[in-house]
Amino acid sequence: MSFSERAHDLLGRLVRASAFERFLISTSALLLSVFIGALIILGAGRMTDCASAAYTIAVPGKFVTTTLPGLVPGVVKSVLPGGLWPSQAVFAMGFCYDPFAVYDLLFLGALGDVLNNPLNSQFATTIAETTILMFTGVAVAVAFRADIFNIGVQGQLVVGALTTGVVLTYVAPPLAGLGVLATIVLLPLGLLLGGVAGGAYAAVPGALKAYADANEVITTIMLNFVATSIALFLVSREKYFKDPESFANQTVNLPDVALFPSWLFRARDDVSLLAFAFAVVVLVGIWYLLQHTPFGYDLRTSGLQPDAAEYGGVDADRTIVSSMTLSGALAGIGGAVYVLMVLGNFQTGVPDYGFDGITVSILAGNNPLGVGLAAFLFGVLKSGSIVVQVGSDVPPTLVGVLRGLIILFVAMPEFFRMIGQKFGSFGRPGEPVATDGGSGGGSDE
Amino acid sequence: MTQTDTAVRLEDITKRFPGVVANDNVDLPVERGSVHALLGENGAGKTTLMNVLYGLYQPDSGRIVVDGEERDFASPRDAIDAGIGMIHQHFMLVDTMTVAENIALGNEPRKWGGLAVDREAARRDVVELSERYGFDVDPDKTIADVSVGVQQRVEILKALYRGADVLILDEPTAVLTPQEVEDLFDVLDELTDQGKTVIFITHKLGEAMHAADDVTVLRDGKNVGTVDADETTREELAELMVGREVVLDVESTPPDVGDTVLDVDALSVLDDREVPAVTDVSFVVREGEVFGVAGVDGNGQAELVEAVTGLRDPEAGSVEFDGRDVTDAPRRDRIDSGMAYIPEDRQERGLVMDFDLVENGILGSQHGAPFASGGTIDWDASRTHAEDIVEEYDVRPPDADTEAVALSGGNQQKFIVGREFERDPRLVVATHPTRGVDIGSQEFIHDRLLELRDEGRGVLLVSSKLDEVQGLSDRLAVMHDGDVMAVVDPDEIDEEELGLLMAGEYPEGYEPRSERDAEGVAQ
Amino acid sequence: MSDDRRVVGTARSAVFSTYDRLFVGRGRLQQAVIGIVLLAAVGLVAAGLLAPQSDAGRLFAVLTADSTLAATLRLSVPIAFAALGGIFAEKSGVINIGLEGLLIISAFVGIWATDVTGSVWYGLIGGVLASTLLAGLFAIVCIEFRADQIIAGLAVWLIALGLAPFLSSVIYGSKNSTSVDTFPTLPDMGIPVLSDAVTAPMPVVGVAPVDIPFFGALFDASPPVYLMLLAVALSWYTLHRTAFGRWVEASGENPKALDTAGVNVHRVRYAAVLLSGVLAGVGGAALALGVGQFTGNGPTMVNGKGFIAIVAYLFGNYNPVGALASTMLFAGLDATQLTLQARDVFQVPTELVRTIPYVTVIVVLALFGRTRIPSAGGEHYESGEDE
Repeated sequence: MSFSERAHDLLGRLVRASAFERFLISTSALLLSVFIGALIILGAGRMTDCASAAYTIAVPGKFVTTTLPGLVPGVVKSVLPGGLWPSQAVFAMGFCYDPFAVYDLLFLGALGDVLNNPLNSQFATTIAETTILMFTGVAVAVAFRADIFNIGVQGQLVVGALTTGVVLTYVAPPLAGLGVLATIVLLPLGLLLGGVAGGAYAAVPGALKAYADANEVITTIMLNFVATSIALFLVSREKYFKDPESFANQTVNLPDVALFPSWLFRARDDVSLLAFAFAVVVLVGIWYLLQHTPFGYDLRTSGLQPDAAEYGGVDADRTIVSSMTLSGALAGIGGAVYVLMVLGNFQTGVPDYGFDGITVSILAGNNPLGVGLAAFLFGVLKSGSIVVQVGSDVPPTLVGVLRGLIILFVAMPEFFRMIGQKFGSFGRPGEPVATDGGSGGGSDE
Repeated sequence: MTQTDTAVRLEDITKRFPGVVANDNVDLPVERGSVHALLGENGAGKTTLMNVLYGLYQPDSGRIVVDGEERDFASPRDAIDAGIGMIHQHFMLVDTMTVAENIALGNEPRKWGGLAVDREAARRDVVELSERYGFDVDPDKTIADVSVGVQQRVEILKALYRGADVLILDEPTAVLTPQEVEDLFDVLDELTDQGKTVIFITHKLGEAMHAADDVTVLRDGKNVGTVDADETTREELAELMVGREVVLDVESTPPDVGDTVLDVDALSVLDDREVPAVTDVSFVVREGEVFGVAGVDGNGQAELVEAVTGLRDPEAGSVEFDGRDVTDAPRRDRIDSGMAYIPEDRQERGLVMDFDLVENGILGSQHGAPFASGGTIDWDASRTHAEDIVEEYDVRPPDADTEAVALSGGNQQKFIVGREFERDPRLVVATHPTRGVDIGSQEFIHDRLLELRDEGRGVLLVSSKLDEVQGLSDRLAVMHDGDVMAVVDPDEIDEEELGLLMAGEYPEGYEPRSERDAEGVAQ
Repeated sequence: MSDDRRVVGTARSAVFSTYDRLFVGRGRLQQAVIGIVLLAAVGLVAAGLLAPQSDAGRLFAVLTADSTLAATLRLSVPIAFAALGGIFAEKSGVINIGLEGLLIISAFVGIWATDVTGSVWYGLIGGVLASTLLAGLFAIVCIEFRADQIIAGLAVWLIALGLAPFLSSVIYGSKNSTSVDTFPTLPDMGIPVLSDAVTAPMPVVGVAPVDIPFFGALFDASPPVYLMLLAVALSWYTLHRTAFGRWVEASGENPKALDTAGVNVHRVRYAAVLLSGVLAGVGGAALALGVGQFTGNGPTMVNGKGFIAIVAYLFGNYNPVGALASTMLFAGLDATQLTLQARDVFQVPTELVRTIPYVTVIVVLALFGRTRIPSAGGEHYESGEDE
């Protein structure tokens, strides 16, 4: 085999490998979403009013009319003498928003001045967002791998956060004097509470799916609404858990010993490297669980081909309930981390971490390790949206649009395969990227 | 022979799929008013060729001539317009709609300027048509409520309703009882008498000879000969089909029978629609014997096997495995105590299509030794295991990292057979173990099955291939309509008697012996 | 005598057939729940008639207030339209879980178009166009590019959930839009003859239709309510009596049967999904134009109605009439909840009362979740594959 054949073979194998293909698809989807997002920003920029255009599209562009003649005046003159070179745009349209500036704020703003000061507060926010999204992302991923659409991660996160916030207000103050010792007890306890509550809340739709055939997409979405309402109910009344000293709907602040230590970062940046490290460990742990344990094997088999799983001795119903519980527990821990790292108490109006978790998971091809990367990307978007809000007139809800677009485009791998096939011989017609496996097959009957 | 005598002529048809040439320069002339059988093994390219004629596939090269005119079919619509109708193996019927609605689908008579379906007209046309050809179908019944035989007739009516002159039937007998098969052949005669042309696809020699005027044999996508059905012999057709003379008999020594491994007692099982599929079936399988189950597909064999292997909860009765009552035990319990199972549907059950062979090799063994310990799967041991199966059972490509989906059906089957045989089982439940497998591998699988038997393991063999069950089994149960008609000695019973039993009738002067046998064994 | 007997006989058979429909062929749990619900209904009516001052009696009064029926009808509109749309899409084999998103986008565009053109009717058309466009995108992604329908549906929801508040912020500077005109009710529409007829006292009875207790609300509703009733009837007719309806059914049950019958499955599915966009668009625009404002905070003003619609048509077994009935059930719960809050009859915490429709959806799904979905629902179909 010649070197070029071997290289081609290797390349072919790489491209066929689903992980690599998914990476390509996710990247393409991301770029396409950013592009469509830019068009939306431009479009929105035409729908609003402003004193002067932030961005102008001109034909021919500035490069041709001004820059080029400035750089090489002699050449331009010699090629096109007699004023034939356009000195101004024939067509020009102004936009109130400049997509490049917006994306600059969104992506780079989130990092802050990270090279000179890696502990700057904008980057701290990015890390904090990333940490929580790692939990919700991997929560969605675990369920997805078992072919369960856990859209209820948001509600499970709320329930986990609420439980941690409420219970610790009673447990933590008596221990506050113990210092580090209290932290060693309270932090794991808080995380455990969140996990148990989130897990239990997810077990309900899991059991309904397994034993009553109730579609989990609907039940989990309904439970999101229920969770939000219950949280509001409990935290808006002083006779329950509302902080009487505050106007906001929130619980009493927890003592600092119950919270994640901020260590290198400033305390007011609400971020903790310990929590981040914990999230990384959880991702690796879930990856190991899926790839190297019988439970993970059962879960993946059920997700790809329930009939084959049953054949292989997997109890389908139990697997549904346990994967859903695990998923909810991870979301609940995410909620606990949100309370113990960011808020310091429980407040209503929890951000959409659960829905972003869906995007993170899908973008990561439902791979726990990929979730780390995708969560960071989304952490940047979330944190960057704050920068956008401060630094421009563009509404930060733009990130919500990008979230939907990314999911849509990742869901259509066939589109990218078709484009890929136009430019090369790679790619095979395949199944939707989601979780349902085994269609097709080499039947020779 | 004048031009118009040929209803359809396919010339030099070639159709490729990624990695395979399904049809390789195939010629096929079909005479008007005749029944033409297209004979070949599974995967010989019969269905592909007919899908080309029906416009479902476009050929890579070649010509389609209908009524002396060259045609180019971009879709079934074009073929239908040219008077071609196809009755697929899996019926193309909508279960929730009525017979009349199904027949009219896509060609509904309209009223009120097209705003509504003229349901009366549709019904009338269907009644008229079914009377003309002597069919007995109720136009108002829902498809889900009528028998398979009737569904097939609805399919034929559907084609006739669209004005078909040439009818293609894909494996029409696969789902029918012998009696229904005879009825179908009468229908085909009636159709050709009225000037229609019939092409039917089959892999059964006997049917081709019995029902057809001409037989074309396909092998590996090539036409290896068109012969007159009256002038050929079984041996000639068999040789054309497989390319060499086949020995259908399997060498086997008398069994050396030991203790009972599997004891099925008064078992009743419901199918997916909650209709009884198996009623009050009892039998035992002993160490060192092959217990065969013969019958037309869909007579309860699938449900019986699922109940035995723990994939379906029985309605009544019990299953004892190795002396233990496992009726309500989960499937995993049976796997762990040594029940191997080659499932009927390899792509849904037997393999996880997106897993590679290393992962598939431990399907069923993922919970314990030797592939898992301390809550962790030993992937190195799993890899060695998969590589051993691949080598010993000649799975191609010989690469354990291949995903199951990338293997051909035959190789998928060989891998499953290998995995199950290497489980060191007490009992092997094998359903259609050689389906879709090439002849060489079939012999290998048969030999291994008998080896297992000779090592003193029990074998429960279910197959719709009569020569296979008859040749391999030491005792043979014949199932009909969820019942075991009889347990017979496969060496003594002849094919005709077997056929009658499969059709639910006892041969004349035949003494039902099943109960006596079953009791004799149980003692 | 014989007439009496016939009446008794008819009543008896009616009772028996109702009993059969409600109880026969159901699990014990389902029977128990149906029984309890029936008993509670009987008890409530009894309390309302015999002891109007009791809690149950006051609840009965709330339930039978014509404001409750009016609210039920009004709240039914978005759910019923989305449910009808969902029926067409899912029957054709494309599970459209993005109905919520279609409602959101059409609610916003409905307001915006009304704001720009000054006419609620142009607003309605604008909402329908937006929803149809988004449904078209969903259709292309699912049918052409074989996307997983559930994920693509979620994407449609999330896109709309982001886009509508985004556009509202761009145009109105806040996630909530400015207020625009709302739909007038039938008596105020100034339709010759009809508008007067419903407000004028009827001969013989001497009461105007709008003043009939409880049912008066039927004559005092806004155009979308009548459109909804019309759409239910038309949808039923289209599905069961036209060729297109039969093709939709075949496309979802056995697309290959339709394909081999010479009908283009993709085209049928495109038509069905676009139709779901049109219907959901009417629902979303009507929702917003009933209020006169788009509110885009949190889950927006649509607030899960698209998902409730899915349960409504599942519960209604894909029958438009059944879907309307279950929609009225959910909307009725919501309306009762609103009236309870407005009248402050009981000291019930609003946050918890608000969860009633959602919890009901879960209970209904758990008890009656085993609906038979179309055999090919959720599956991609490509002509000439999988042979």
